[in-house]
Amino acid sequence: MQVYEAPLRDMRFVLHELFADDGYGGLKAFEEFTPDLLDAVLEEAAKVAKDILLPLNASGDLEGCTYENGIVRTPKGFKEAYDQFREGGWTALASDPKWGGQGLPETVNKLVEEMICAANVSFSLYPGLTHGATTAIEGHATEDLKQAYLPKMVSGVWSGTMCLTEPHCGTDLGLLRTKAEPQADGSYKLTGSKIFISAGDHDLTENVIHLALARLPDAPKGVKGISLFLVPKYLPKEDGSAGARNGVSVAGIEHKMGLKGSATCQINFDDATGWLVGEPNKGLAAMFTMMNTERVSVGVQGLGINEIAYQSAVAYAKERLQGRSLSGPKRPDLPADPIIVHPDVRRMLMTMRVYAEGCRALGMWAARALDAEKHSEDPEVRARATDFIALVTPVVKALFTDFGTDAANLAVQVYGGHGYIREHGVEQFVRDARIAQIYEGTNGVQALDLVGRKLPAHMGRNLRPFFHAVSGLCEEMAGVEDKALKAFTGGLQQAFGALQLSTGMIAQKGLADPEEAGAAATDYLRLMGLVGMGYCFLRAARIAHARLAEGAGEDEGFYKAKIATAGFFFDRILPQATAAFLAIKSGKRSLMALEAEAF
Amino acid sequence: MMTGAINKVCVIGAGTMGAGIAAQVANAGVPVLLLDIVPKDGSDRDAIAKGAVARMLKTDPAPFMSKSAAKLVETGNIEDHLGKVAECDWVIEAIVERLDLKQSLYEKLEAVKRPGTAVSSNTSTIPLGHLIEGRSDLFRRDFLITHFFNPPRYMRLLEIVTGPETDRELAARVEDFADRAMGKHVVHAKDTPGFIANRIGTYWLAVAVNAAMDQGLTIEEADQIGGKPMGVPKTGIFGLIDLVGVDLMPLLTKSLTATLPQGDPYFETVRPMPLVETMIAEGYTGRKGKGGFYRLNKAGGKRAKESLDLATGDYRPERKPEPLPSRLEKDLGALIAAPGKTGSYAWTILGNVLSYAAKLVGEAADDIVAIDDAMKLGYNWRYGPFELIDRLGPGKLAERLKAEGRPVPPLLEAAGDKPFYRVEGGKRQYLTVDGSYADVPHAEGVLLLEDIKRASQPLAKNGSAALWDAGDGVVVLEFTGKMNALDGDVVALIQQAIPLVKASYKALVVYNEGSNFSAGANLGLALFAVNIAAWGEIEKLIAGGQQAYKALKYAPFPVVAAPAGLALGGGCEILLHADAIQAHAESYIGLVECGVGLVPGWGGNGEMLDRWAKSGLLPKGPMPAVAKVFETVSTATVSKSAAEAKELMFLRRSDGITMNRHRLLADAKARALSLVEGYAPPEPPSFRLPGASGRTGLDLAARDFHKKGLATDYDLVVSDRLAEVITGGEADLVDTVTEDQLLKLERKAFVAAIKDPRTIARVETMLETGKPLRN
Repeated sequence: MQVYEAPLRDMRFVLHELFADDGYGGLKAFEEFTPDLLDAVLEEAAKVAKDILLPLNASGDLEGCTYENGIVRTPKGFKEAYDQFREGGWTALASDPKWGGQGLPETVNKLVEEMICAANVSFSLYPGLTHGATTAIEGHATEDLKQAYLPKMVSGVWSGTMCLTEPHCGTDLGLLRTKAEPQADGSYKLTGSKIFISAGDHDLTENVIHLALARLPDAPKGVKGISLFLVPKYLPKEDGSAGARNGVSVAGIEHKMGLKGSATCQINFDDATGWLVGEPNKGLAAMFTMMNTERVSVGVQGLGINEIAYQSAVAYAKERLQGRSLSGPKRPDLPADPIIVHPDVRRMLMTMRVYAEGCRALGMWAARALDAEKHSEDPEVRARATDFIALVTPVVKALFTDFGTDAANLAVQVYGGHGYIREHGVEQFVRDARIAQIYEGTNGVQALDLVGRKLPAHMGRNLRPFFHAVSGLCEEMAGVEDKALKAFTGGLQQAFGALQLSTGMIAQKGLADPEEAGAAATDYLRLMGLVGMGYCFLRAARIAHARLAEGAGEDEGFYKAKIATAGFFFDRILPQATAAFLAIKSGKRSLMALEAEAF
Repeated sequence: MMTGAINKVCVIGAGTMGAGIAAQVANAGVPVLLLDIVPKDGSDRDAIAKGAVARMLKTDPAPFMSKSAAKLVETGNIEDHLGKVAECDWVIEAIVERLDLKQSLYEKLEAVKRPGTAVSSNTSTIPLGHLIEGRSDLFRRDFLITHFFNPPRYMRLLEIVTGPETDRELAARVEDFADRAMGKHVVHAKDTPGFIANRIGTYWLAVAVNAAMDQGLTIEEADQIGGKPMGVPKTGIFGLIDLVGVDLMPLLTKSLTATLPQGDPYFETVRPMPLVETMIAEGYTGRKGKGGFYRLNKAGGKRAKESLDLATGDYRPERKPEPLPSRLEKDLGALIAAPGKTGSYAWTILGNVLSYAAKLVGEAADDIVAIDDAMKLGYNWRYGPFELIDRLGPGKLAERLKAEGRPVPPLLEAAGDKPFYRVEGGKRQYLTVDGSYADVPHAEGVLLLEDIKRASQPLAKNGSAALWDAGDGVVVLEFTGKMNALDGDVVALIQQAIPLVKASYKALVVYNEGSNFSAGANLGLALFAVNIAAWGEIEKLIAGGQQAYKALKYAPFPVVAAPAGLALGGGCEILLHADAIQAHAESYIGLVECGVGLVPGWGGNGEMLDRWAKSGLLPKGPMPAVAKVFETVSTATVSKSAAEAKELMFLRRSDGITMNRHRLLADAKARALSLVEGYAPPEPPSFRLPGASGRTGLDLAARDFHKKGLATDYDLVVSDRLAEVITGGEADLVDTVTEDQLLKLERKAFVAAIKDPRTIARVETMLETGKPLRN
């Protein structure tokens, strides 16, 4: 039973209350978006998610996409849903008004994304990739290309993709082979094969705009010889509408573990006409503009599935009757108590809940920085936001998607045997969540990005906004009297100390031996993620404590629950930080001890 | 001692070189008479020499090391004052490069000088034999060539050429004075055109410029290939020509083509350069003119870097080429084998220049060491030609020359696969012309740490410092980290050194042979700690440094610090804690913490207060010393020489100055040993400080600076933090403040400063750009 109602109260909390004083707020560009207006957007989005997208989630999974005679079709109902979605303006939510977007803050956009991903993650990929592609075009393409493509893509009439992977190269893009030959008219002819292209082709939009990586004839070897091209499925006509078919074809769709409503295509470029986006041989940098937004969005996919898995598990745990409470029957009127009475079921439900609320808060922190980076008038704030985003992007991507899969698995566990069969639709969460740990850079690669690039750059400058925020909060909370808050503060301080020590160790050891940094990477990312969540929960608990003290009225339940949830985090989840620290401290020794032959 | 034999010097010719040489004599503390001709117009007959001194007082980098040095220069003219030459022990002629004028001057000199007074010419091109034509035997005995490099204060090379008749002892006296008093590294050259450095240097530039044009390289590409990978200063080739003056090129060409023997490879390379002639005609003579191969186009209020297009002769915006792969930067063999113009350009330079150098052994110099020294010290090459050949492989160089059908110089042929330098029994040896190895010689009394390191193991070491046995019971503490930065490891090794020296040695010398003694604490490390909010670690590092420096100060044995180059921040503070300082003349010392928004944190404040209080130079009362320290430290003043460091009280009057970089360790060691007998550690100082009222006074002074636009808002905050420390915080005039109380104030101020985002921004900018941020 797939159950989903957008968690609007918690969303409003993270949006309006949690970071009110983080220095990223008060952006002039968003003055017209009053809290009421933003809340209304969230409410509307919640309806779209529940009423339009959720009903297609299980059916889309069952039917999947189909490929026939070179044509890709999405599952029944997707086209109609997409039209409604597009007409509602949801594709253009956070895009620049210059191209027809609504210019809403990224904070709200990420919450809406969460709802879409929760209700139907397969569907989310179509508008999601389009949004990423528009970002890259906006950032790097010529004015002509922008004029020709952005309005149609922002309005959702055309969609976008990113074509990186080739059969022999995934993570290591230096091996890329697709060629681009310059033409007399300034365009290029692309030839090569791409695989695993999400939303690579489908029947939802009039045109599909590929952003493809390829090599110029005289390009240097490796990643420094890769350029980015815009290659449309149909070449635009004079009037701007889709015209003649370009040399882009679909060789087939991938048969996947999950995400079946999303068309993942093998694409062939055969003398396909394209245009350079950005500088020659600097394609990877241009693509990374897209990748970085995408990585945060993939994190949000994990969060969305986490939330629907949680809600579906709670619904079941409240109604499934098995056994009696260990402290005596709670529902003597029934043949058995609902399983929610059992501590171990609580453990699972609370874990899922804490993951979801913690990630939502952390994601909001990142989204606020995304907005500040783009719109703050203070260059120092913009610079700080850029550093912060650089640091937390890999954390958001990997932590949220790891937790997404964990939560989906826990939901299956709560359902027991009924979770393992297809009927209840819970096993779909596991299959759908799994890919998010892999694509847009595997979570291992995220961790390497964190320790190898983000941590050492500029003498650790990327670390500063995060570390100073946590350190500052610990200092602010130093004299707190409330027992719970005091305990939370102590927990955060301890985990933060472990993070600081680990950071120093990695900076020192990793400099001499990059394998040491590599060995620490995944644990370090987890440690940082936990500290980030701890920071959010401590802030949340402090606010909740203050609101309750001044009388929270109808919100009393929400704030009490927030403190209880934070309590579970500090008691039950944050101790993982110590384990991560010990693992990091052990270094690469035991990891690399065996010769490859011994495996 | 022969040094005593030269008590006064005369320099004739007050052009850039003559005046600069006179300034360096004065820097040595020796009176100098500077003469030039009587100007054609004007009433002051000494105007030219006087004008030269006045100009030098404004020149940057300064030819004088201190204002008092300038007072040792006596000016005059050759018509009225040539008779004063009789008071001098050495006359240096540095007039225009015209044989007739030089000869007539010598004729006049012969009439007035005492026998035994050395006369030397600073000619860069005229053979000695020509100069002494027509002179008496007595004059010829006293005559030699001393060829200084520009600027004479900073360039360490001195080429000395003696003739067959030159009196050996007189030449030795001049050499000794040049070495010890003027700090020059003497290279003996033969009496051939251009001597050593300019002969090879001019050839090198001609080869490099022509090849860039012929092979179609931009000047940026040429400077990239011919610069860093070959150990040439970052100016590269075209940047160097801009620096020395584009107009110098045709002059050097003219004089070398007139004097070089027939068949010299230079004639194959040299050719008319219409581009250079046009540049000179239009005033593009280099940095001293409107620009040279590179220029800064300030049109339209912008400062655009532009480069000359060698093909069209027009300026265009600077185009930085893609960086060379690091392998090509490090491996000369790979560089000359690289495909395309990179390899061919590199090979053209190295193949030609290195063969040329090899050919000149025996002809222009007695051995390869003289040639390598000349190029390293006269052209600032990081490696001499023969060190470059070793990096390339002598056999490989010969092989490629042969393969191309080009002559292989006999010396290179004879070397076969043997390297030109080797280390044998802990000693560096060079290949002599007869094919055997001999120890690389040092002037008498020179002691180098690099030799000690080659021949022994460290007594102790870690990642940032090492201890070495320098003989006679003296231990050297060497900083070894990147840029000799100070960090926790240095602090730890200091703590380790104390029991070690106490148990088995007599004294400690803090010394190293990096280009800079130390630019202070490792700011990068500190910034990393700041970025991860590791405040506790920072406090520990500050306290640890204070303790270590204090332990040095109160160690039961003498500690002498011997800086050369920059000694800033913590690198200055370690000097302040030593019993004595023996500084190289080119020591740039300062407490620069305020520049990056910090305050001195390793005891520098107290040491400076104590120095001034005990100097006897100030009026009574607690305020004058505090004001002096405030003035120096709040403005991050750095001395421009060791002499100036004395004026700023970084050095005490009793501290020593060594002119020759190679003699610094020996002098410091001798100083340390002189302190051993009856050594007792200093008594801890106690301070009488003015407290809050003094702080107000300093604040007023700072505000005045601020009003004049000389200090930023944040400078005021920083200087107030400093003021709080040096006025003793809450101190009251009746209290005495102990050293430890002052250290505690220092720590508190430091930690407050480093947490301030404005300080962090300053530190970050300094690390990223090397320039201070004026926020």
